[in-house]
Amino acid sequence: MNNKPDFARMKFYCDENLCIDCNGCVVACKEAHEVPVGVNRRKVVTINEGIVGQEISVSMACMHCADAPCQQVCPTDCFYIRADGIVLHDKDKCIGCGYCLFACPFGAPQFPKDGAFGTKGKMDKCTMCAGGPEETNSHEEFEKYGQNRISEGKVPMCASMCSTKALLVGDADEVTLIKTYRAVSKGKGIATEAMGW
Amino acid sequence: MANTWGYGAMTNHIGDMQNSKAIIIFGANPASNHPIAMQHILKAKEQNGAKIIVIDPRYTKTAAKSDVYCRIRTGTDIAFMYGMIRLIRDNNWVDKSFIADRVYGMEDIFTECEKFTPEHVEDVTGCPKELLIQATTAFATAEPGCLIWNQGWTQHTIGSSNTRLGSILQLTLGNMGKPGGGCNILRGHDNVQASTDLGCLADTLPGYYGLSEGSWKYFSKQWNVDYDWLKGRFKSKKMMESKGFSLGLWIHGVLEKENAANNADTPLKALVCIGNGISTITQTHKVKEALDKLDLVVFIDPFVNDAAVITTRGDNMFLLPAATQVETSGTVVNTARSAQWRTKVVEPLYEAREDQEILFDFAKRMGFYKEYVAGMGKGEKFTWPEDATNEIARSLKTIGFQGRTAERIKKHTENWHLFDSVSLKGKGVTEKEYYGLPWPCWTEKHPGSPVLYNINLPVSQGGMGFRNRFGTERNGSDLLSAKGSAPVGSKIDGGYAEITYKNIEELAGITLTAAEKKAVEGKNWKTDDSGILVDKAIEAGLAPYGNARARTIVWNFIDNIPKHREPLHSFRPDLVKQYPAVKDRKNHYRTNVRYESEQNAQEWVKDYPINIVSGRIVEHMGTGTETRASKYLAELSGEMYGEVHPNLAAKLGIKDNEMMWVYGTGEGKIKIRCKYSLRVDENSVFLPQNFSGVWSGESLESKYPKGTAPYSFGESSNQVTSYGYDQQTSCPETKCSLVRLERA
Repeated sequence: MNNKPDFARMKFYCDENLCIDCNGCVVACKEAHEVPVGVNRRKVVTINEGIVGQEISVSMACMHCADAPCQQVCPTDCFYIRADGIVLHDKDKCIGCGYCLFACPFGAPQFPKDGAFGTKGKMDKCTMCAGGPEETNSHEEFEKYGQNRISEGKVPMCASMCSTKALLVGDADEVTLIKTYRAVSKGKGIATEAMGW
Repeated sequence: MANTWGYGAMTNHIGDMQNSKAIIIFGANPASNHPIAMQHILKAKEQNGAKIIVIDPRYTKTAAKSDVYCRIRTGTDIAFMYGMIRLIRDNNWVDKSFIADRVYGMEDIFTECEKFTPEHVEDVTGCPKELLIQATTAFATAEPGCLIWNQGWTQHTIGSSNTRLGSILQLTLGNMGKPGGGCNILRGHDNVQASTDLGCLADTLPGYYGLSEGSWKYFSKQWNVDYDWLKGRFKSKKMMESKGFSLGLWIHGVLEKENAANNADTPLKALVCIGNGISTITQTHKVKEALDKLDLVVFIDPFVNDAAVITTRGDNMFLLPAATQVETSGTVVNTARSAQWRTKVVEPLYEAREDQEILFDFAKRMGFYKEYVAGMGKGEKFTWPEDATNEIARSLKTIGFQGRTAERIKKHTENWHLFDSVSLKGKGVTEKEYYGLPWPCWTEKHPGSPVLYNINLPVSQGGMGFRNRFGTERNGSDLLSAKGSAPVGSKIDGGYAEITYKNIEELAGITLTAAEKKAVEGKNWKTDDSGILVDKAIEAGLAPYGNARARTIVWNFIDNIPKHREPLHSFRPDLVKQYPAVKDRKNHYRTNVRYESEQNAQEWVKDYPINIVSGRIVEHMGTGTETRASKYLAELSGEMYGEVHPNLAAKLGIKDNEMMWVYGTGEGKIKIRCKYSLRVDENSVFLPQNFSGVWSGESLESKYPKGTAPYSFGESSNQVTSYGYDQQTSCPETKCSLVRLERA
């Protein structure tokens, strides 16, 4: 047994059976972090739109990989991974080359044209509402990375606003447990408390 | 609905949908318009194994989550439902004992459905008969199933028939009055239920009391004003008791001279518009004309009403800035009759004022402030909004508001976490009460009624039968419910009339004291301020409004039973002869309205060969006045468009993302972007209802007062929606219109 502190492993999960393409997560993210128009840290993607029986929607952002490809390819080594698994980056080191976009399997990196998120061209992406390398909850951190809700013990904005609770975020143990509970109650002919009013 | 079983409101509630084994979503798109309700629908599907059946002309985001999707032509809902009822009858899925005990007039429905064979339904609606059979089988064999609808049903010339037949469909299956069943009408936006409860309608006083002398006298008492003074405010007693112009029809009171005869010989001269997006009603070009012609126009809104930009009038128009919901406090009522308290977060910013402050100021300047606030009973020293909330609770006895005092509503809101979202039941300090005291909430001890017409609960715990509203007997048939079908714990094992001072002793099996008798003399459950009649009824397990049968026949309507009638501008003129519109109506909400003559004025489809499907999109609300002023919502949806099937677009020579002109059957035309989409069929164009600020190709941005223009603009779809109003309610027909598309 090890006696090290048990860090969370933060993960997103989006249930495509529940996602209704309402874009609540997208707007919540943008409002919370004052993201410039055109930058989409989170996107809802619908495939087969309008094709009967084949339309699927899912909300996507940085997946905060354990072995993050973006970190491996970055020529300036601007990425760092927190003990809880959240992948962040330092915009002061970023040169906006776009190599991370080559590596990312999900299309998460965004490249602002201008605006509040630093100099033109620096990469921006989902921080899982955990800010960045500047002093926690400082003005500088907000200007470059947005809110740091994790430091305040709050749920990231996207999942907290999800109308159907398709989008979950948190310690992977908790997220998987919710999924397990949902699987167990599936098709049982029972009603359970709402996942949020 | 009110004409079927007594109340026109959602019968169950949103969390209750999780108890359903099948859900029909018909003329509604909750994934876009009620995302939170969608959570419960999807939970019913996942956990309860409910089949989700979506019937809609457009393959919506909601339809994408369905098990069965039936695409029908707009305006053919009744044909589809009669097809369902016929199948239900022929397969013996009818709940015979429910009908025998609690329904009047079902035979006529079973006769009418005869002609709607699956083949005929396929011809009328365009939906393959196999899907009709599949949908009906899934719904009828599920126990219980709920029915959800929305403006896709109400905004039609036959909207009132749609909602009635939907109610009747649930009666045939015995799905009423039970958890997981019911008619769950999703209201169009926040607090609509409360608006109609409080009488923001052209034909009733608050609480649906009607406009008769008795109703006015009752309210003059509740408002602490003299009846004759009240009468003196009107031009005549006749006008006092006449329905007003409705939201759909007021423009005709301005523009058409002939309607002056219905309006005390005068055209409408002034308009005060408080928080209403009047460009969401049809024929916006007529709205513009009417606004231009009025002597005075006042808009009271937090954002600039787009109609103020549409009009080209030069003078006598006023924009009064109103506070938003976070700058004010008071109750808000959800779609399911539950109330919640809203607390003021900040004082109104800048020049904005709370609605009541603006209205108080009007009353002061017009000289009736003292009378205006008299109902609260404290002269000018009242506490807002608590005293007003309590006045409402006291006055709206018809819908059982007596228990909804400010104190109780606040207690529920503050203890929000103690309630179960599926049953609405409370714990701890609110044990045995239902969240938000869903009306009817008969007394200050009553817990509220989460599921209407449920006879498996005592009245004191939210149970009741159908309301006795249409008499006790009709053509020799009993209109009261049969023996054995009364709420549990009832002194009377069957039907009974509404409670009055005359029948209370006999029905409740009690003797009133002399003082009690004196207090209730001449009163009934709707007018008794002493509360004795309601208290004694509930003690005896009786619903104050009686226990009667739901009815399928509404003898005071043009269509005694719901009938399919082709839209005025029908895509299928060959069916018009078989299913014609009603005759033109005189003085329908003070307006002479064309039905038959409009339908036959020309063969519309020749010049306007494309059907429109209209609806809201998830990013925007109403006219988009508020949401189009949000940067991020404007980013997601920044421009008006029309969804066109690629095959149709190809025929018309319009490429994806090109601009196209849409010409309506009226004089309106709009220039919008063509968006290729498989959501619509090959005869239709989908037009979102949420845009404004562009007028037939011209931007109106420069007309906004400095700094008030929203981020996104677009043509209003209602410039091309056709003439047409519900034959009973006068709700405008936004759903069935024909247009012509041309490459711009």
